[in-house]
Amino acid sequence: MRFNILICLSCISLMGFGQTDSLQQEEDFSMYENLNFADEGAKRFCTPKVFDLSPAKLISIGFDHQGAFDVDYGHWKDQNGNHLSDLKQGDFQGAGGLRISANIPVISKTNVVLQAGINYARTAFYANSNRNLNPLDATLKENGLSTAGLSTTLFKPFNEEHFMIVQASADLNGDYATKNITPIKYTRYSSAIIFGKKKHDRKMIGFGLSRTYRVGELNYIPVMLLNWTAPSRKWGVEMLAPARVNIRKTISPRNILLFGYELEGNSYRILHHQLTNGTENLSNIELRRSELRIRATWEASLYQFIWMSLQVGYRYGYSFNLDQYNDGKEFFRGFTGDQPYLQENKMNGTWYAQLSLNLVSP
Amino acid sequence: MKQLLLLSLLWLSHSIGFAQNTEADQLLGVWEPSNGKARVKIEKIGEKYYGKIVWLKEPIDPNTGQPKVDKNNPDASLRTVPLKGYRMLKDFKYLGSNQWDNGTIYDPENGSTYKCIIKMTDNNTLDIRGYIGVEALGRTDVWKRLNLKK
Repeated sequence: MRFNILICLSCISLMGFGQTDSLQQEEDFSMYENLNFADEGAKRFCTPKVFDLSPAKLISIGFDHQGAFDVDYGHWKDQNGNHLSDLKQGDFQGAGGLRISANIPVISKTNVVLQAGINYARTAFYANSNRNLNPLDATLKENGLSTAGLSTTLFKPFNEEHFMIVQASADLNGDYATKNITPIKYTRYSSAIIFGKKKHDRKMIGFGLSRTYRVGELNYIPVMLLNWTAPSRKWGVEMLAPARVNIRKTISPRNILLFGYELEGNSYRILHHQLTNGTENLSNIELRRSELRIRATWEASLYQFIWMSLQVGYRYGYSFNLDQYNDGKEFFRGFTGDQPYLQENKMNGTWYAQLSLNLVSP
Repeated sequence: MKQLLLLSLLWLSHSIGFAQNTEADQLLGVWEPSNGKARVKIEKIGEKYYGKIVWLKEPIDPNTGQPKVDKNNPDASLRTVPLKGYRMLKDFKYLGSNQWDNGTIYDPENGSTYKCIIKMTDNNTLDIRGYIGVEALGRTDVWKRLNLKK
């Protein structure tokens, strides 16, 4: 009797095991229309993407090259605006260097997405090494300019429509290559906050405020986010104005063209070539560099998640002035401030190209 | 007596197998990705778990006026396969500790297939992480279990 019971129990176990195997069969899909969340407290949240948005780059390694250009160096001035040296022109055969960045999702949940990033951008200036124009020209030739930074981006959806984006970055910018990096006390911080609405899967729009160095010096400017895809899904807009605006042409999900501009800039600490006014050494000098890059970009998948990005366009020099901090601290000039620059320079425009290999995000 | 012991062991092993099976089969059911654009039914075939699209928020392609098909598939011969019924999760095996691994997830939006690991954080919530090569290079989406409306 006991033996029979055990046999029955074993069979029941085996039957239960067998029942979990499901067979492929035709289904009435309409039965899946009237469903609710099993967890009554569950909410839906909007995502940070719209259809056909150009892929986010997890890791990017590229090279940027600018064609030949001149810099018209302005007169040196003291803090009272008195002229100290003569205007001269420096010609460069080109400029460029390596650009590396990584942006990794640290938290990726329905109700919060947090990314952390690092970046390094190098600009070497190629010029005749024998000339002797001024200390800024000398340090550009000898050391070039570099930026190394950390960044983070938070996407916080509140519900299916509304969201907030917070971005922050800390950059060490200066006249260094890989050695003698600008001391950490000269870190420049940028940030932005945007509140927006995702109207549907083809449009998200938002408005906010940023603290930025994209115009070379500290500024506070309103920003507008727009990611939009046309109903045909052949065209779209990717914009975080005024920093960058792109019109997107989708050839296929793995092959896209972008036409637009980006404003790139930062404030670079000049430390490695002593600047002097002839009677005393100058300290607390920052180069306010800003470039407007009008360009066409081709992004395409080379193999699965490895994408190529080729960018060509015109680089307009928006700012290349030198500032001296009176008390060693950052100050705000904005678009209307009348604080004099130590040296007003003009970096003339030229063509540029940028090629990168990218590992794109799922 | 020996016979009884042997049968007891057999029953015990089946029971343990059944318990683990029950735990693994918690994955079965209908789930909704965070974007709410689709519903995916996870089922078991053999010892592996698969998920197919059973509902689409926008089932009709506005360009063709026809039901959406897998038009972004890198394999041209599959670009006419209807998305509804498409198996986007494949080959998951239960590893214990509420985790299913060794599977892949397909994104019909761009035709890419990613390695994927599924973690059940509670009975009604899945963390679905698609990644490239190593888990760190990926993105997690949270899926919620769906039931019939009461």
